[in-house]
Amino acid sequence: MAELDPSKKVADRYLKREVLGEGTYGVVYKAIDTQTGQTVAIKKIRIGKQKEGVNFTALREIKLLKELNDPNIIELIDCFPHKGNLHLVFEFMETDLEAVIRDRNIFLSPGDIKSYLQMTFKGLAHCHKKWILHRDMKPNNLLIGPNGQLKLADFGLARIFGSPDRRFTHQVFARWYRAPELLFGTKQYGPGVDVWAAACIFAELLLRRPFLQGSSDMDQLGKIFAAFGTPSPSQWSDMVYLPDYVEYQYVPAPPLRSLFPMASEDALDLLSKMFTYDPKERISVQQALEHRYFTCPPPPTDPDKLPRPAPKKEIKESDLNPREGPTVLSPPRKTRRVMPGRDGLEGSSLQGDKVDDTHSNRKQAAGENNTGKNDPAPMSLDFSIFGLKPPNRPTINSDPLIINDFNQGYLTITEIEIVDVLKAFSLMSSRELEELDHHDDWEKKTDEYLFKFSFT
Amino acid sequence: MAANFWTSSHYKHLLDQEDVDMVNPLDKEKGVTVEDFKLIKMHMSNYILKLAQQVKVRQRVVATAVTYMRRVYTRKSMTEYDPRLVAPTCLYLASKAEESTVQARLLVFYIKKLYADDKYRYEIKDILEMEMKILEALNYYLVVFHPYRSLSGFLQDAGLNDLSMTQLTWGLVNDTYKMDLMLVHPPHLIALACIYIASVLREKDTTVWYEELRVDMNVIKNISMEILDFYESNRMFTDERINAALHKL
Repeated sequence: MAELDPSKKVADRYLKREVLGEGTYGVVYKAIDTQTGQTVAIKKIRIGKQKEGVNFTALREIKLLKELNDPNIIELIDCFPHKGNLHLVFEFMETDLEAVIRDRNIFLSPGDIKSYLQMTFKGLAHCHKKWILHRDMKPNNLLIGPNGQLKLADFGLARIFGSPDRRFTHQVFARWYRAPELLFGTKQYGPGVDVWAAACIFAELLLRRPFLQGSSDMDQLGKIFAAFGTPSPSQWSDMVYLPDYVEYQYVPAPPLRSLFPMASEDALDLLSKMFTYDPKERISVQQALEHRYFTCPPPPTDPDKLPRPAPKKEIKESDLNPREGPTVLSPPRKTRRVMPGRDGLEGSSLQGDKVDDTHSNRKQAAGENNTGKNDPAPMSLDFSIFGLKPPNRPTINSDPLIINDFNQGYLTITEIEIVDVLKAFSLMSSRELEELDHHDDWEKKTDEYLFKFSFT
Repeated sequence: MAANFWTSSHYKHLLDQEDVDMVNPLDKEKGVTVEDFKLIKMHMSNYILKLAQQVKVRQRVVATAVTYMRRVYTRKSMTEYDPRLVAPTCLYLASKAEESTVQARLLVFYIKKLYADDKYRYEIKDILEMEMKILEALNYYLVVFHPYRSLSGFLQDAGLNDLSMTQLTWGLVNDTYKMDLMLVHPPHLIALACIYIASVLREKDTTVWYEELRVDMNVIKNISMEILDFYESNRMFTDERINAALHKL
């Protein structure tokens, strides 16, 4: 109990403001650091109910972010326990790249695209230099700060790599950003997977829509091959040995120019090097940064001057008043991640909420946000005014868990959480869990040595 | 694990020997000497290893857990942070940080199996509470580097990677976890010291190889001496002495 006091002091340092959203593993609050006056985002990691202590995904994020310190990577300012929950303090970010791409009021000049891309690559290059794979690169995870700085966030799937023959799970990345080797089930991969995803983001900035929107892993490969042609063994010799390799009908590659009519020659050249099939031949992110695309005019726009979605209003009571017209096109907040509560999986109450939410108009949805914790806040753009459905963004490993399909892409369940959930319900034996991430012989050998040899 | 050691928090947080051997004032009040302090930490390293063998985790998890435990006691007292709870909790936390999670209830089960003594008895909720306190004590720095990887690289480079040398050096590295060496020295130097001892024992001439490495041989020799001293004094580490030291807490 004596420990409560110091932690309370830390907690008092931050003045809690409104809820920003429901994160992958807890609620995210906006807060003011009373010592520095800085606005911060605090992730509260629920621990109380779980029997397995600090959430595994959260721990990964803490572990890696403590090692990463770069202007283009989100800063983990502080961690503190309070009332049995762990709180992570991040710098506050206004918006993210997905919101920029989707905002039809924004025009992105070639210099703007170059600037956003350069910041993305710089952050990624820093990760790779430290032997860390991000494994969940997508516009939604590229946050944008008040000064226009873009920062990589969400390291819940990131891993340290570099051990030879180290085997990893291939179920990483949201599908549209997954490299072909992952789709073919490779368990041994490297920084190339992040480069492929970065190339998809590049393409998405040029096209202003997700580039390769596959509806399943097979379809994703089909989309990739339709864009770049079916790879021949001479292009990618290891392909046929990949675990889930299947032969696709030969399709020739259309000229890249036809896919990106507005892009410069330099941009197309860089894109083609990043979208190289063979991961061994694919350009590294450091090489990409040195590509002439970044040195030739136009220069990258100064981050300060980058176009961003209009500043979001603070929610006032009047915004929730149903008598006012349905004018909230760009709702004041955006939930970055929505994760059903653990209890939500047991009943259907969650489902009911979500269905209601998608059918009701925005005002009502905003109103309901006060009551339902798990209600997704509206996305940054109301697609209904265009008579379109928002594209159903696939998330990591969404194929086997389609329970969230009704939710129009608002949900993100990561691989880890599926594991956590299954573990909670004891559906998965520890052996199966073990197999999720394979380890190499080297480590088995060290185990043997450890247990066999000791001289004391 | 291969990541960049020189830019890591591990490298930045290496300590001086004097700081490592500082007994916390609270423990000092209870009559804990530097010797007791070392003895308890050694005993707890063994405890972590025993538990790890039961729950079957990877070697790296054990090494990381012992490192966490030793780091905790450079900042916290044993009076407030009971080693008998800190040790299993470090194993629990390390298993997560090294991506090979062990369930807390499994640990609790094996703790009971290993020690009938009530003083070792802790429940799941104790471990989970301590996990948070340990995270705080570690200042949330969780990435740890170990000598094993550089060891295999060095052995190969020196052409000493036969079974006998590999086993000998590996065992030596394992035993360094019974000391505070990893808090003071970078892992590759610990690996080099272990190879040095092994090559003397097995009468392998490695002088030229060491010269080519351009490392400070004085440091290697000092680490080697520390390891040999440890083996020397290890005979005197009896259970009675360990229990007497623990009893002071």
